Amino acid sequence: MKTAIIIFLSTIMLSTLSSADEYVVISNPKMKDLSTTQIKAIFLKKITVIDSINAVPVNLGAMDPIREKFENKIVEMNFERLKSYWTKEHYIGKRPPVSMQSEESVKTFIKNVEGAIGYINAKNLDNSVKVLYRWSE
Amino acid sequence: MRYISLVFIFLLSLDANEEYQLGKGVQVGSLPFYVGGYFSLDYKHTDDIDRYRVDDVAILGYGDYDRFSYLVELEFKEAYVETHQNGVKNTTHNDKLYTERLYLDYNFNENYMLRAGKYNSPIGFWNLLPINVLRETTSNPVSTNILFPKFTTGLNSSYISYGEGELKVDVMLQHNNDISYEYNNYKMNEHYGFGVSYEKNDYTVKLNGGYFHNLSESVVEDNLYYMLLSGKYESDKYQILAEIGSQKSKSDFTTEYAGYIQGLYRFSEQHLGIIRVESYDDRVTAIDDDMLIFGYTYRPLYPIAIKSEYQFHSQSEQNQFLFSFSVLF
Repeated sequence: MKTAIIIFLSTIMLSTLSSADEYVVISNPKMKDLSTTQIKAIFLKKITVIDSINAVPVNLGAMDPIREKFENKIVEMNFERLKSYWTKEHYIGKRPPVSMQSEESVKTFIKNVEGAIGYINAKNLDNSVKVLYRWSE
Repeated sequence: MRYISLVFIFLLSLDANEEYQLGKGVQVGSLPFYVGGYFSLDYKHTDDIDRYRVDDVAILGYGDYDRFSYLVELEFKEAYVETHQNGVKNTTHNDKLYTERLYLDYNFNENYMLRAGKYNSPIGFWNLLPINVLRETTSNPVSTNILFPKFTTGLNSSYISYGEGELKVDVMLQHNNDISYEYNNYKMNEHYGFGVSYEKNDYTVKLNGGYFHNLSESVVEDNLYYMLLSGKYESDKYQILAEIGSQKSKSDFTTEYAGYIQGLYRFSEQHLGIIRVESYDDRVTAIDDDMLIFGYTYRPLYPIAIKSEYQFHSQSEQNQFLFSFSVLF
């Protein structure tokens, strides 16, 4: 009976884990490995040049749920705080990253632009881009 | 003011490539050139004086190309001031255009950046975002006005390293006259300063120190040294900000200490409450004061700020009410 309960609970746990979505931060294949602190700094435009290449961060649209997950997990700011951050950055002459409406557009852009970096759902990943970081929720 | 009208006409004539958002500026055609600006109006009431003021009207232009970026900011300061004291009305106008900032940056790589021109001295936190619409209260802490030069005209070298947290080192060098020296809290021809900050998660600490050669006649001493220690905690709901420092000449303290601690709570995106405690002992003006400031800020949109505050001073004749309306566009 004890074994049956353990197997039952393990099955529930495994099915819960497997239902979590996985996301990836991706870049052009020529990009070097980056820490999450560096990825955050690129998306906040604190880093603009990396390995002699201009860094080009690409966001998904403002209402995209993957963007919200990325900003909470990697940038560590919620949407409202980021709005105030970019208003302040306007005063010091910096613009927010460009936005694209689909994960496919992000992937195509990253494949073609050296220094480009973005994020997508891992299920849309292919070998045309480099994975810098993975997380699941 | 005719310059402002011309700039607004220019802005209206721009062909923006992207949808305009307030507080984000507008791109000029497809050039690496963005234009924006800000203005602020304020009202001050003390026992003796009522003052209405068009404080700042400024235009920003900036952009980047390859590893270069640049910024220019031109401003009318105190464009219109009307005071009422003992039943007497007095008005002043100022249509002089000041160069508030003018600089060119070059990013060598992810770690090093060099700046040349006139820039906000990277000292403490408050001095980096000094304009009304971006700060949380209408007033500035006294320490940000008396301890160090707000602007530097020369070179600024920055080094940033990313490990567990973010380490930043700044070196400021000025060995020439200011650009628009009237638009600085100190008239000076030399400034050598440093800053070291470390940021991890929601916490940042910063230490600044430096020397400047003062030419202002209102301050007797020529050679002044300053030190400032700053700390900040910021989360989605709260911000706590504290800065304390001192200034001395070769022989004695000119400001023994000046500092503040400010707490901010975001009731919602639009509504913010602020409490600040300040204290300073300035031997140049022979004033020492303690202040308790309560502020409330309403931001219908983030780039629009409607603020009110009341200041209680240890010298009670200085108690005052401030109200302001400011916009970044």
